Amino acid sequence: MKTTAIRKQMTIHPEVMDVLNEQIAMEMHASASYLAMASWCDQRELLNSKSFFYKQAEEEREHAMKIFEFINDAGGAAVSPEVHNVNNDFESLRDIYERSLEQEINVTQSIYKCFKKARSVDDYASELFLQWFVNEQVEEEDTMRSILDVFDLMEGMPLKMIDERLPKE
Amino acid sequence: MNVNALVEPAIQLQEITFCKYQLTTVNKNIVLTFPQLLQLRTNINKLGTHDSVCDIIDNDNFVLLFVADKQHLIYLDIPQLLSLKNTIDSFFSPFKSVLF
Repeated sequence: MKTTAIRKQMTIHPEVMDVLNEQIAMEMHASASYLAMASWCDQRELLNSKSFFYKQAEEEREHAMKIFEFINDAGGAAVSPEVHNVNNDFESLRDIYERSLEQEINVTQSIYKCFKKARSVDDYASELFLQWFVNEQVEEEDTMRSILDVFDLMEGMPLKMIDERLPKE
Repeated sequence: MNVNALVEPAIQLQEITFCKYQLTTVNKNIVLTFPQLLQLRTNINKLGTHDSVCDIIDNDNFVLLFVADKQHLIYLDIPQLLSLKNTIDSFFSPFKSVLF
């Protein structure tokens, strides 16, 4: 087989590179959203939730950086994304965690989209790289669901008391 | 009637060496490195979306685009923009895995 000019330059498939760049934007948006949530909790002295969301913000950025470096290492061009429309306005602590779960589900679906694309164009390196993210998302969703369970179990209790029973990271 | 006379010369993209590519527009020959080519692809894909094209039509009906790390500025009307997008798309499309 004659290897094409583009294949000589990059391991990653151009279409996979495009969806992974979209994924970077999504992870960075998630990071910014968690930062807004951390700020809301910080202002209200909800100490465990504050730590949890600061940590989440860092983690999402780490995910974005992991993808960013992978694209460049595979010969592609990672794009630093613009982050728009970050919501800083929340109704309650429960509302924040519900939004977090929704956000994690959206990230999971987007990872599946990348995985599907990599599989459809036989980009095996990217598919293997994405497997870590698939497992990570199962954990992330589970953490959010467990926290929402605590809210259900402690319904009617003071907010600070609920916060004290939530994980810090 | 000479049909060819009505057809604008197409925008071309070709590989010169392992890491050099040449973009030929109506009035320019631009040599690109691979990262510059990837950047051009990113920019053209952004400009070539339906919303962006509608936006260009509603405003100036052309775009000015920096190419090759801002060493060149090219003028593109809508047909030229779409032609360049197609050229780049087809340049990247025959990507094949080494496992084939």
